[in-house]
Amino acid sequence: MALEKDIYQQLEAVVGPENISGNQAVLWSYMYQPFGNTKGVWAEIMPEAVLLPQSTEEIVAIAKICNRHHIVFKAMSTGWGIHNLPGVKGAILLDLRRMNRILEIDEKNMFAVVEPHVICMQLQVEALRKGLNCHIIGAGSNTSVLASATSVVGYGPDGLSMGFSGRNLLGVEWVLPTGEVLKLGSLGSGAGWFSGDGPGPSLRGILRGWEGAWGGLGVITKCAVKLFHWNGPPKLEMKNVPPNYVLKEPLKYFRASLFNFPSLESLAEAAYKLGESEVGYFISRLSPAFVGLQMAGGQNYVNLWESGMPQQMLKYAFLFVIFANSEGEFAFQKKVLEQILEETGGQASPLAETEEMQELTATSVIKVDAVTRSCFRSAGGFNTSFGSMDTIDLAMNQIKAGTELKNRYIQKGVLMEDGGDNSATLVFDQGHLAYTEVLLMYDNHDDESTGGAMAYLADSNKACLNQALGLPIFQLSQVGTGKHGAFSPACGDYDKWQKKIKKAFDPNNTGDPTAYTEPE
Amino acid sequence: MLLELKDYLGDMKRCARCSICKWPPLAQMKSWRFSQNCPSVSRYNFHAYSGGGRMALGLALAEGKLDETDEELINIVYRCTACGACDSSCKYNSELEVLWPIYATRARLVGAGCFREEHGPIIESLRREDNPLSKPKAERGLWAQGLDVKDLSRGGQADVIYHAGCLYSFDPELSAVARDTVTLLRQAGVEVGIRGQQESCCGSMAFQLGFQGEFIKFAESNIDDWNALGARKVVTSCACGFGIMKAVYPLLGKKMKFQILHISQYLDELIREGRLQLSKKIPLRVTYHDPCNLGRNSEEYVPWKGIEKKVLGQLIIREPEKTVRRGWEGVYDPPRDVIRAVPGIKFVEMERIREYAWCCGAGGGVKTTIDDFALWTASERIAEAQSVGAEAIVTACSWCERNLKDAVSAQGNRMQVLDIVELVKQAR
Repeated sequence: MALEKDIYQQLEAVVGPENISGNQAVLWSYMYQPFGNTKGVWAEIMPEAVLLPQSTEEIVAIAKICNRHHIVFKAMSTGWGIHNLPGVKGAILLDLRRMNRILEIDEKNMFAVVEPHVICMQLQVEALRKGLNCHIIGAGSNTSVLASATSVVGYGPDGLSMGFSGRNLLGVEWVLPTGEVLKLGSLGSGAGWFSGDGPGPSLRGILRGWEGAWGGLGVITKCAVKLFHWNGPPKLEMKNVPPNYVLKEPLKYFRASLFNFPSLESLAEAAYKLGESEVGYFISRLSPAFVGLQMAGGQNYVNLWESGMPQQMLKYAFLFVIFANSEGEFAFQKKVLEQILEETGGQASPLAETEEMQELTATSVIKVDAVTRSCFRSAGGFNTSFGSMDTIDLAMNQIKAGTELKNRYIQKGVLMEDGGDNSATLVFDQGHLAYTEVLLMYDNHDDESTGGAMAYLADSNKACLNQALGLPIFQLSQVGTGKHGAFSPACGDYDKWQKKIKKAFDPNNTGDPTAYTEPE
Repeated sequence: MLLELKDYLGDMKRCARCSICKWPPLAQMKSWRFSQNCPSVSRYNFHAYSGGGRMALGLALAEGKLDETDEELINIVYRCTACGACDSSCKYNSELEVLWPIYATRARLVGAGCFREEHGPIIESLRREDNPLSKPKAERGLWAQGLDVKDLSRGGQADVIYHAGCLYSFDPELSAVARDTVTLLRQAGVEVGIRGQQESCCGSMAFQLGFQGEFIKFAESNIDDWNALGARKVVTSCACGFGIMKAVYPLLGKKMKFQILHISQYLDELIREGRLQLSKKIPLRVTYHDPCNLGRNSEEYVPWKGIEKKVLGQLIIREPEKTVRRGWEGVYDPPRDVIRAVPGIKFVEMERIREYAWCCGAGGGVKTTIDDFALWTASERIAEAQSVGAEAIVTACSWCERNLKDAVSAQGNRMQVLDIVELVKQAR
């Protein structure tokens, strides 16, 4: 079903002919979405057209046209993953690429106002110049700041010191699926961007709750996010050559270490203590496979893995980074860390102690720039399982359940052998919360491997439900209805509330419900 | 043939769709303003215009999902300078080929008889006149009239052959660079010869537009001629020619008995050896624009042929291991060293340099067919040069120079655009 000519013309009049396309080549390029796909790399449902709006006003006009003609729309920022595409036929896709400005960096009040297509790295380089830094999600600095703050999950390993994207969200400008503009937090009372919860309407729970509406409740066109103190230089110069760019000058009062523990329990104990003592810049549970893939690829990686060295040295390990403001603070944090390690039996791994690894680790910790290296490069297909945000203990239970379950599929040969425990990320918000994702690699062009990966994901979701391990981030590609339908009865029937919200905010159901929920 | 889409299926199918191809390597990003790396997606915005989008199009074409005759598809495919920035950025985290599938997609379209209307006359000119500029072949060597240089088209041999390239030969403004080059080489005591009227295009334009047959014809003919002339060195000012001679000519399997040098490398060598002395002060704040085909695209390319094997369950490894071309082995330091050797000069770097340099906009046939896109891309580079306070952009490629000069002129900008040879000549 192609868009009727007059509707296409109405949309074209809003964005201009250069910024709308229903051409097959353009559309097929958007259909390529391996991440989250249950089979291969192509999405099944093609949007009718792609639009490139440049302003809130244009999005309002598009939403109103869609409401008049009962056309579903879906917006994406950087568009990584199949959940960025409309999941219903006859829909249009809004690629927000042209809304890419950093509108403000307020040094004094430590926040930035961004449009949807500003990526974390763009914000970080501008923030550093002003002595500030921003939270970067675990997926990497190539992702949208706004998307994780307003619409999709939002945690990452620097969250130990810089929180969680959902918590860092301040004022918001939101185009509802109806085309109305809603301003949240202090922005709603004309008081600027500085607060997410007032003076003005505080609808953060409705806007995103735990994990966001995944683009199912309209388009967030601007938002403010908290920034944090940066103790390094205003510009970070690199040396070396790709793929190993590293900082030209080491950061002052910065130390990255890998610690190995005798058991998951002692690792968890250390994480609690570190959180409580409010030390550290970055913490990430790092699996032997993840570290190995950062260090090597191809046969070199195989040799490394088969040597058994990473498995032995990093069985229950995390990467912990101190980045202090002064010599005194650095010494204090080190002392706290040493004491916690002594209490929990943690041992520093010599792997991270070489100058080369210090340099590499410093760059990847600050820039979060090498995630695809460990995730997509090995087998092509990549996904994540578990990942509920809760306590450190729950994260440990997810790791145990994930390891046991995944090993069964590894033994079948359908997943990449990574020891089963390939989990990433740990504590954030100074230890108040934790999560972990259990990563899996598979060949997404091999039916048996893909089928195995999907079966594992289905089983891992069952495990989440049956063993009370919290809601997973993804439920295969059915982020929305499938997931909520399965988990809502075990979680206070939250889905009923979501459906009411969807109905109230989107009476014509024009905001694509696929990754969120159908209205009541 | 060199360019077969099927050879890149493995690369195209394993794109993670992470969009890293749209940015400079993330660790090298320095500001919001100059945080883009791909002229095509920056100008046209739809995902199809990015490296990842082009991989998707190549795959869709290979799988028969797209109609090769679709005019919009053809426009998308050719609205790309083939600068390779996407390729360098992608290889920051992977070993996938991005640029070569772009070339192969073009070859696939050409094979189906589908290309832009403007390409017809270019190829026709290459066939008739041995240049893509519709200039008479007979006038090719006129730039050298009156110079004390051996014209090998009249016979004889030379230790060093200077290959001026098409634009330096025919562009009335730029041919002074070719003259200056010969003068400088002669002053340095180099026994240099030119091929005069018999010099022909390197074939770069044909290759980049996807006309592989035409390209191979020019490449083989050049290799044969240079071998026959007994040259020890072939020195060229044409960065596009240099890139193609270094990275693609060797793939034809013909023995090349000569060393290929870009003029910036040779000048650097001559200055270091004291054979060229720069004594005149030039009090100018300059920056250097890395031509894509002198930089990242001149790095050796080894097409991978082998088998993919699964180990550790589903981990895919290649046998033999792939030689990964990440773009950092291009020619970056010699031109910078030449600039620094000029007395009085103040050299400043732009934000996007070396393997992640922003393209000038002229490559991939864009300057001759989609000039507004070429000029827009150049204007971004000029803005970047201005942002570091440069009074002049020095470059080492005729197409970059032409395009940057045109953009400066269209803007009424006071930025000077200098060829590296011009700068050296002024400093003598």
